[in-house]
Amino acid sequence: MYPFWEGLFIHSTLFVAVVSAFHVLASHLTVAAAWFNLYLERRAVKENREELYVYLKRSALGLLVFAYVFGAMAGVGIWQTTTAANPRGISTLIHNFVLFWGSEWYMFLIDVVGIIAYYYTFGRVSKETHLRLAWILALGGTGTLSIIVGILSFKLTPALWLQTGQSLNGFFNTTFWPQIAMRFCFMFPITAAWALFVATGLPRGFYERERIIRDAARFGIIGLFAGVLVWLLWFEPSLPVNAKAILLSRAIPQPTFPVIYFGLLATLAGLLFAYIAPHKQRRLLAVGAMVVMYGAIFGAERIREVLRKPDIIAGYMSSNQLLFNDIPARNIKSEEARLSQTGMLGNLPFVPRADNLAGIASDVTFGYDDPEIVAGRTLAIQQCGSCHSISKQTSIEIAGVSLDLRSLAKLLKMRNLTTAEQIDNYIKAIGGFPYMHPFVGSDAERRALARYLEAFVRSSYPETAEQASLKR
Amino acid sequence: MTVSEMLNLMRDPLGAPFYPPALQVLLVITWVLHIFFVTAALGNSLFSIVAFTWKKNDEQWLRLGRLSARLTPNTLGLGIVTGIAPLLFVQTIYDPLWYAANTLTGFWSVSFIFFVMGGYSLAYLFYLKGSKDGRLLFTAVLSFILLCLAGWVMHVLHSVSIRPEQWLKWYMPDGIIDTRGVVFHAYNIPRLVFLLPLQAVLSLSAIIMFASWYLSKRGDDAPFLSWAAELGRKLGLLTSPVYALTGLLWALTEGPEFGVTLAIALPLMILGVLLTAYFARLRQPTNQGPRLLVIWLAGLLVVAVVREVIRAASLARYGYNVADYPYQLDWGSIVVFIATTIVGVVVVLYLSLVIYQANASKEGTVSLRVEQLGKVATGLLGAWFGFFLLMGLYAVFFLR
Repeated sequence: MYPFWEGLFIHSTLFVAVVSAFHVLASHLTVAAAWFNLYLERRAVKENREELYVYLKRSALGLLVFAYVFGAMAGVGIWQTTTAANPRGISTLIHNFVLFWGSEWYMFLIDVVGIIAYYYTFGRVSKETHLRLAWILALGGTGTLSIIVGILSFKLTPALWLQTGQSLNGFFNTTFWPQIAMRFCFMFPITAAWALFVATGLPRGFYERERIIRDAARFGIIGLFAGVLVWLLWFEPSLPVNAKAILLSRAIPQPTFPVIYFGLLATLAGLLFAYIAPHKQRRLLAVGAMVVMYGAIFGAERIREVLRKPDIIAGYMSSNQLLFNDIPARNIKSEEARLSQTGMLGNLPFVPRADNLAGIASDVTFGYDDPEIVAGRTLAIQQCGSCHSISKQTSIEIAGVSLDLRSLAKLLKMRNLTTAEQIDNYIKAIGGFPYMHPFVGSDAERRALARYLEAFVRSSYPETAEQASLKR
Repeated sequence: MTVSEMLNLMRDPLGAPFYPPALQVLLVITWVLHIFFVTAALGNSLFSIVAFTWKKNDEQWLRLGRLSARLTPNTLGLGIVTGIAPLLFVQTIYDPLWYAANTLTGFWSVSFIFFVMGGYSLAYLFYLKGSKDGRLLFTAVLSFILLCLAGWVMHVLHSVSIRPEQWLKWYMPDGIIDTRGVVFHAYNIPRLVFLLPLQAVLSLSAIIMFASWYLSKRGDDAPFLSWAAELGRKLGLLTSPVYALTGLLWALTEGPEFGVTLAIALPLMILGVLLTAYFARLRQPTNQGPRLLVIWLAGLLVVAVVREVIRAASLARYGYNVADYPYQLDWGSIVVFIATTIVGVVVVLYLSLVIYQANASKEGTVSLRVEQLGKVATGLLGAWFGFFLLMGLYAVFFLR
């Protein structure tokens, strides 16, 4: 176990979500834009259409500055945020797939050196050589995508890896193939918005302007429909039973689905409009499309993350970073089984025994100096903190609305569970939810957790303390 | 729980998929490339600011400043890309260190990427809109500050990581768990100055001399290039002795803690002295760009090894040794990595040669041999997908 970083103002997990949604937007753009540009460049070579190079050069510069570099930076950002938010989760991926990631790095190097070569050699090398660079970019980008999807999809469906412990089994898992197909399709609407952005920067009346917009819109519409079909007919049916149950449960925070549906419909409407009326397109529309798609991607990626709840690696590691299954092929034993017997406190690094903690009143224990509440905080941090706001530290209030991550104070208040006894009974039952693991630890530790959560609820909602005293 | 027990419990139970010392070698080598580009970005950023402020009336400085403004985002981009590789390997063999440092300093660890994004954006803005006439200079200054902040955060993360005996105290100051991750728990100023500002100037020196050599080959303005190369030499000559002395300071301040004072002082001081001698004896610097680049990369390799020695010495106190890191050879990922390495090296070589040759002459041409290499590279890249698919089919249908 590692020290726990809750986040500051915003929950650590939300940092991951914001950065990764941006990364998806930028990185997916680089792949599909490379294919779209290859399509245009092939036309430019075959039909001897010099004017297409004007678009290609503008697009390449934008991709070089924005998508590749910002995509790379956001990629590093995902490392930083996931490391800070859930180190053992990312550690599992690294120790399984470091050489796959090393392979992805080569592909990424091809992408970055490739876009530099592509942009800085316009007009300086033969058209055939430049076309070859376009091929390399398209293939390199697809290689990057192919590798990362294997690692990502492993988290949801590690499949045979749980028995064999072989990285190949984990990598080429049951949702790998549909997910790669789905992502490949959905990249094209993003690229269409990008092409719209670049092409609308060309002077009005430019010979190929409207044709490029129509081509891009066509690519986008086909990609959008194909992506939805892959979702409905291949990806969703390949999801594990538990994930399907979660998809319909309250674990998916609202308004995620409305945002995605709106994003899909708005994108379709925008692309149809671009196809039908290319001469009426404006840059602002393209920017708007990007913003809408960012929202939809944010929602979709959130769902992908929530689908494997309560695990960070399905069937292996729970979100609170404890191993709950044996993997004999890798000599791994369940930690949950052991800790359920020994208790949590003092039996893992950075989960100290109660007597190592200062029983002094402080803000982090809402002014209580009760050692049980202090110990309960340690357990809340370890057991609940990965998915929930467990203090006011990760909650900011904007215009009277408290923004947090499934705050436990809020959830318990909503369920009218405001006393330690009620909360304790609730914790005993949480293993029954499809998106929760049972509490790990001794009975005394569970009661300590309940005491801390009671203090959290009362501190967040002072009226509950008054109600409780009236009931007594 | 002792520190040794803690470190062992923190190791990932899966172990490494390959011989850990081999991963350690990859870590050291890839860090050299990373630190070269990062310090080059810092050096170029600083140089463009100096050119547009202190030397704004000197046309030659301004001209070189414009080139530096252009190189800042480019080298930074490469610094980011090359930074991913050591990040992979450090997590594999030093997972307890890297993860503990990042969680203890969580807020800054996450802020790091925003500093880099801001620094890059502003550097690009200055290059695009300000480097012609020095407008928007504040963007260059802000960019430099943000990049320095990013460097500071990385320095703190590393300093925290090599002091495992302090982690619990930092996590629970006064017995109260602190989950905010806002405190800069450890740092060493001589080390920071050695690794960032001083190496930034030396990388800048290498870049200026290399650029002078490259541009002179295509017949660009010879007097200017000669002046620039000489400036690069002088920068190197002035910085190298300070570099040696700061290396000594680093050794004296951090060395005793881990018992490696001499192991830090000796190589770093020798490196600084050798660089001083090299720059002092250097004649016709315009012709020496490639040689200096190789020498400087070798120097950075020495620094990388010294860093590794410090880390190893720190961990040896608690019985943590990379050679003892558990591993289980994972043939699937090893085969994929080797195949992709072959493809990646050939393709990147081809792309680099295209960039080099296309810009080495005014008319821009690529030789027939490079064209042939291009056909091979593209073919290999296409074939890689066939290989990837075969691996997938094997995993799905045969690997049980």
